[in-house]
Amino acid sequence: MVIDIHVHPAFFDPINGDEKKEELRHNELNIHKNGTASLQHFFNKMNCAGIDMCVLLPEDYSTSMQGEVLVSNKEIRKLVDLAPDRFIGFASVDPHDPSALEKLEEAFAVLDLKGLKLHPARQHFHPDDKIMEPIYDLCEKYDRPIIFHCGLSFEAHATSKNCHPLDFEQLAERREKLRFSLAHFGWPWCRETAMLMLKYPNVYTDTGALYFDSAREFYEQTFTRDIPATWIDRSLRHQVMFGTDDPRFEMIRMSKAIEELGFRQSTVELIKGRNAIEFLHYDPEGGKR
Amino acid sequence: MIKVIPMDIMTDQYNQYLIITEDVRKIVAASGIRNGMVTVETRHTTTGISVNEPLECLQSDVDVFLSRIIPEDAPYSHCHMLRDYGSTGGNPTGHLKAMIVGNHCHFPLIDGKLIGGSAQDIWFCEFDGPSQRTINIIIEGE
Repeated sequence: MVIDIHVHPAFFDPINGDEKKEELRHNELNIHKNGTASLQHFFNKMNCAGIDMCVLLPEDYSTSMQGEVLVSNKEIRKLVDLAPDRFIGFASVDPHDPSALEKLEEAFAVLDLKGLKLHPARQHFHPDDKIMEPIYDLCEKYDRPIIFHCGLSFEAHATSKNCHPLDFEQLAERREKLRFSLAHFGWPWCRETAMLMLKYPNVYTDTGALYFDSAREFYEQTFTRDIPATWIDRSLRHQVMFGTDDPRFEMIRMSKAIEELGFRQSTVELIKGRNAIEFLHYDPEGGKR
Repeated sequence: MIKVIPMDIMTDQYNQYLIITEDVRKIVAASGIRNGMVTVETRHTTTGISVNEPLECLQSDVDVFLSRIIPEDAPYSHCHMLRDYGSTGGNPTGHLKAMIVGNHCHFPLIDGKLIGGSAQDIWFCEFDGPSQRTINIIIEGE
């Protein structure tokens, strides 16, 4: 099973229709001129990329957006219900929202979302802030992993503050039962991301980065020269997950490019699906295991 | 009189060739215009419109030919972050193939019928799919 661990469904037809909301999503995510996509179109794209399932990530930045939630947990649930064989849903809460814990409990217990997405820069927190501890507690209680945005962010109002891989080392040290992913391989700090993964088996990453050149060229630079391909193929092969950050990057070309880096076939299979299954504690036959 | 009628096409392959002659004929017949000129034009820059025989072998030859002269792994300039899109542009092959194939075709319309050779069909050519596409059927006449 091939899984894309990092997809933003903000422009899927079933959760659009309100022009103002769509414009807000374009502006806040800083993704333009792409229109909205029918689910059939998205499935066609997944099929061409050889992807079986996608993890859908919402965005709750409500305390800095007058209470407006960009993509809500309920919208993610709605999309998953429309295609439970193709989608796995994650939750999002704004850590500064006084009802964040209540919303997260609902997301896990009622909406049955499989993990939590957080963006330290856009949501204005540091991974070691005290307000985060009860959120981490809840994730551990429900055995749900976290995907943290890490490295460069192209979203509006988001710098890379609090998004350096080293910002997460104490969390990795302190909570060995908490599985979390430093998204985008922490680009451009890929060596630092590799450093953390080498020491901490609860730290994962994804390949959702394509900031320069073609997918083939960027992946060659990032995964064979910035760090040697052997680092992934020999040491980090159980912690790297295939992700595309769709719609910002290119699902089809990235899926092809990851196979052309000289990794062992067994490593490619880990990256393209088996690591995500382990990260999610996901049972393809019955959902959560 | 001029009528511009949009026609939606959803492609499901990266490169794909669809014969759309019958769809165009139906739209022209419903337009009410009987004599004049019909233009079929794509609205996109990574798709093409062409006229050729609707044979699978020819579609294969066209696809192989275009892929040979415009390979996926050549070092193109149009592979970088586009700030006004907020996304990476990585479809130079689609743009180049579209330039070669062209973006429209014309047929005379006489007594309500498109006039063309027996081997001529209208091809919609997808070069950056899958995608949701729209073409214009432009009918000029009376």
